[in-house]
Amino acid sequence: MVAAVSLSGLFGIWFSIFLTLAIFSFLYDDNPIYKFAENLFLGVSIGVGAIEIYYGVFKPNLIDKLAEVDMTPDRAWVSLIPLVLLFFLMMKLTRKYSYMARLPISFIVAAFAGVKLTGEANANLMTPIAETMPNFQDTYSTYGWWSWQHDGAGIISDFVLVAGLCACLLHFYFSAKPNKAMGGVSKVGITILMLSFGASFGYTVMGRISLAIGRFQELLGLDREESTWTLAQSEGSSFALTSTTMVRVVSGLTALGIILYIAAWKRRQTSSNPPPEPAAGENAE
Amino acid sequence: MRNALIRFQNMDRRWIFLGMALSIMIPLLYPINFPFKVDQRVQAIYDRIEELEAGDTVFISADFDPASRPELEPFYRANLHHLFAKDVKIVMGSLWPYAPPMVRPWLDNIAKEHGKVEGEDYAFLGFKAGNELAIKLFADDLVKAFPSDASGKKTAELPVMKGFRSLKDFGLIISVSAGFPGTKEYVLQVQGQYGLEIASATTAVSAPDYVPYYKSKQLFGLSGGMPGSAQYEKLVFADYRDDPGLSKAKEMAGPAQSVLNMGHLFIVLLIVCGNVAFFLTRTPKED
Amino acid sequence: MKRTIPLIVGFIIGVVMIGEFFIPHYRYRAMTAEFLEWGLILGAGAFILGLVNLVQVNLPKVQRRETDWQYKAAMLVALVITLIVGFAAGESRQADGQTFKWIYDYAFTPLNATMFALLAFYIASAAFRAFRARNMEATVLLAAAILVMIARVPIGESIPVIGDYLPQFMNWIMDVPNTAARRAIFIGAALGAIATGLRVILGMERSHLGGGES
Repeated sequence: MVAAVSLSGLFGIWFSIFLTLAIFSFLYDDNPIYKFAENLFLGVSIGVGAIEIYYGVFKPNLIDKLAEVDMTPDRAWVSLIPLVLLFFLMMKLTRKYSYMARLPISFIVAAFAGVKLTGEANANLMTPIAETMPNFQDTYSTYGWWSWQHDGAGIISDFVLVAGLCACLLHFYFSAKPNKAMGGVSKVGITILMLSFGASFGYTVMGRISLAIGRFQELLGLDREESTWTLAQSEGSSFALTSTTMVRVVSGLTALGIILYIAAWKRRQTSSNPPPEPAAGENAE
Repeated sequence: MRNALIRFQNMDRRWIFLGMALSIMIPLLYPINFPFKVDQRVQAIYDRIEELEAGDTVFISADFDPASRPELEPFYRANLHHLFAKDVKIVMGSLWPYAPPMVRPWLDNIAKEHGKVEGEDYAFLGFKAGNELAIKLFADDLVKAFPSDASGKKTAELPVMKGFRSLKDFGLIISVSAGFPGTKEYVLQVQGQYGLEIASATTAVSAPDYVPYYKSKQLFGLSGGMPGSAQYEKLVFADYRDDPGLSKAKEMAGPAQSVLNMGHLFIVLLIVCGNVAFFLTRTPKED
Repeated sequence: MKRTIPLIVGFIIGVVMIGEFFIPHYRYRAMTAEFLEWGLILGAGAFILGLVNLVQVNLPKVQRRETDWQYKAAMLVALVITLIVGFAAGESRQADGQTFKWIYDYAFTPLNATMFALLAFYIASAAFRAFRARNMEATVLLAAAILVMIARVPIGESIPVIGDYLPQFMNWIMDVPNTAARRAIFIGAALGAIATGLRVILGMERSHLGGGES
């Protein structure tokens, strides 16, 4: 398969590999290439975010609305209020008038407080409590005491769920005093929590490794269809190697370049700042 | 022996980094794929979408960024293929500013492969800031939240939006979510209040948090991390492989699972070796 | 007055937003929709505030040639270039061939993705160094983690004999103990959020208004 690629695309592929390896170089040690990539990330991400926010929010919901020529006077003044609040918010950047920002901040904080209050009360308080209350009759008729087929659903699991929830709440939220009776309840609560956190850790490991997989797929050229590249507006293959091999060669050479740079930089650091003599009895790392 | 084990426990972490890198690279270069079963939570998403008919409309909230691509892109693409193959219409929005430049081209390309027309068969409304406030506004008045779509056309005049004024009007909502704001905010803010049917495809880190929502039927389906995406892909490609729109598509998460095998085994090995060394070298006062 | 008016506005808005959950009348909903739209715009404004603050903090560092000023300069240059190409491209900025798209695909995407990919390595290091079965609780945590790691990937299902039961047992851990613990956490967090929300709306919590004259 022959795929057309532009010069900017080729440069982009190399740049992408360079930036990936620059960030990965932090795993060896902090170095100027990583610092450059990190600051580039900061600048680009805030720039991209600002552009998307302008075209996603300000333009359609504020500017275009104010520019609508057929707005009635009633609608016009209502549409000016967010502009005024936004202006007050920007006063936070000044020292003299920063008190004006309290109004829009109070608006936003109170709006969030109001929606979160009802949302949490409904979805995280009432519903979990209602759903935890077991219906043993239904459970027994559907799953019996324990059903391997349905991942252990049954009366026993319902009981463990209720007891576990109560134990966790009693021990951690209500901080019941540790006496003889509570000792057993606390142990149950802690065990349930440890099982949950252990499962969380397992999922977290899976998630983190997945993030790294994507990067290595790109470095090894596995994120694209294998093809031979041709420069746009030219005929036939422009390169002898396949795209996958080319990407791997570029990754290898870039990695080598970064390693050599870091080695040279470290040597310069060491020669200008020799390490202190270790104190007697101290284990060298 | 004891000193060797202590040195082992205190070894430079860069050796561990190298081991991790190799455990990812080797299975990528020499994959060994194992069969896998489909989880009932993922099956539930597939089955519910299978119940949709041609002409139904679904709202998708694409709330992820390039960092979560390996986990969520496969589900996102397979989901679009699934919906378009069934001639279901799609209206998409996002709560993350870094999502649109990534998800919109994928939507446009997959729609083109299925011969779908923007504005008639699907619409990408764009991004809205405001987190929970935005979700509340979507549920009250989606057209007010998005006066125009991402191309600048008036949302109310789009044929695909005819009869759809708010989230309540959509039969199904699919939240492809990498964190905050995302699935949890949809469940908290609008699912209970309006009785919406919401499915979630989320990262592995968030999946344990959303299982209780699935158990209490606040979510009707849940796909967690790369395995969830791989399972959903498997279902879609098994039934719709012959659809002309999927002729250029290929499974992404399934092959990548061989890396997870090796990666997880490496981590388990590290934990076991670390603990064995710890127990063999600990002194009584460490108990 | 400088504090009183914001507190009064906060109280009104907070009560109106709570009422949104209970009052379905279309006029009330039209009013809350308007307030929500203002909230969206102000939320976006907060991001712009951060952007301006970033420039305010870093530009003087570059001008005074402080430590690492070159990196700050690179950051500001990248920010300015992204803004210029983004605004120049306008609505078509996400189309193929646009410079903004190039920046997003070949600069932002690898940087964003790789920053998070570093975590895979750190979690391996943390698992080796810190994950010790010192007591019963830690052992339970460890066992659950190992079980989930093995069962969640295809190789776990392929282990002879126990491979059939591992995924089911893992699902049981997710469906029962994990659900119990998470619900307990959710209930606790919900009670805290309700209390905090009420404190903010009633004006008892004023830290968001900052210090200074009232």
